[in-house]
Amino acid sequence: MEGRTVEDKLREEYFEILPEIRAVCEHLEAEIKYRVLPISHSLDRFERIIVRSRVKECESALDALRRRQEGATFDPERAEAYTLRSLKDLAGVRILAFPRARLGEIDAALRNVFDNWTEDPVLGDNGEKLAFKYWGFSAASNEISGEYQISMLTGLFWEVEHSAIYKPSPQLRGVVRSPKMREPIANVLKALSAFDEEFELSIQQPL
Amino acid sequence: MELKELATKTRILEGAGYRYSFDREVYFNRQAKKAFSVEFVEDRSEDEIEQLIRDNAPSTNWRFFFVEPPSAAVERELANILG
Repeated sequence: MEGRTVEDKLREEYFEILPEIRAVCEHLEAEIKYRVLPISHSLDRFERIIVRSRVKECESALDALRRRQEGATFDPERAEAYTLRSLKDLAGVRILAFPRARLGEIDAALRNVFDNWTEDPVLGDNGEKLAFKYWGFSAASNEISGEYQISMLTGLFWEVEHSAIYKPSPQLRGVVRSPKMREPIANVLKALSAFDEEFELSIQQPL
Repeated sequence: MELKELATKTRILEGAGYRYSFDREVYFNRQAKKAFSVEFVEDRSEDEIEQLIRDNAPSTNWRFFFVEPPSAAVERELANILG
């Protein structure tokens, strides 16, 4: 068909694979909740584990793939080279845990199940690990990969960033990714991390 | 790359009249008809970027400084968008 853009082709692909993305997402969420259940049952009153899943929206998936290209532009003459299936986070689960000590415990429990998944941690600007992150294929699909991420308060910041900025205006993703915004974002993450650490130290002191 | 180093390169580009396109993730200057991708800016030294900015060889076409040179079709697309 003439006159179809790369974006048109990718939108069509998105809706073809959407049922499979949903299946991966549901499978991943159920599996993770089940595996984390024994830890959830042993939490103290002040401790929390929150598991949330999401299917990446169509325009957000297109935008993510486009921004992978240098100059954030698809080559219209290589339309067949692009596929949304190359995105690792079409189906994603975020596990938010507090306090920090629970992160390692959750990570170990999930590594037993997702032992062949690839580690791709979220790193800060100084190379420090901000969140555990893995991607791979589940029993729900061998074409659509899923991703899960385990973090503390930093994860809440990413959720706020997503719901306040990207969801209403996906085009603003570029602003947040811009070189000028990297330093303020690094500062927010550093501050949240310092809060996490100090809070955890404080609650370990006898009352 | 160090955030400070990137901030310095950003200042150099902005000082030379380059603007950042949030949508295309490139620094561009319509008068000079040059565009630098973020990847290129991160990859190259401050000196190299300054030299490329100073290079005033007249050109009616856009010049794109990318790590991976863009195809003719991508160049056309970006030239249309950047104006």
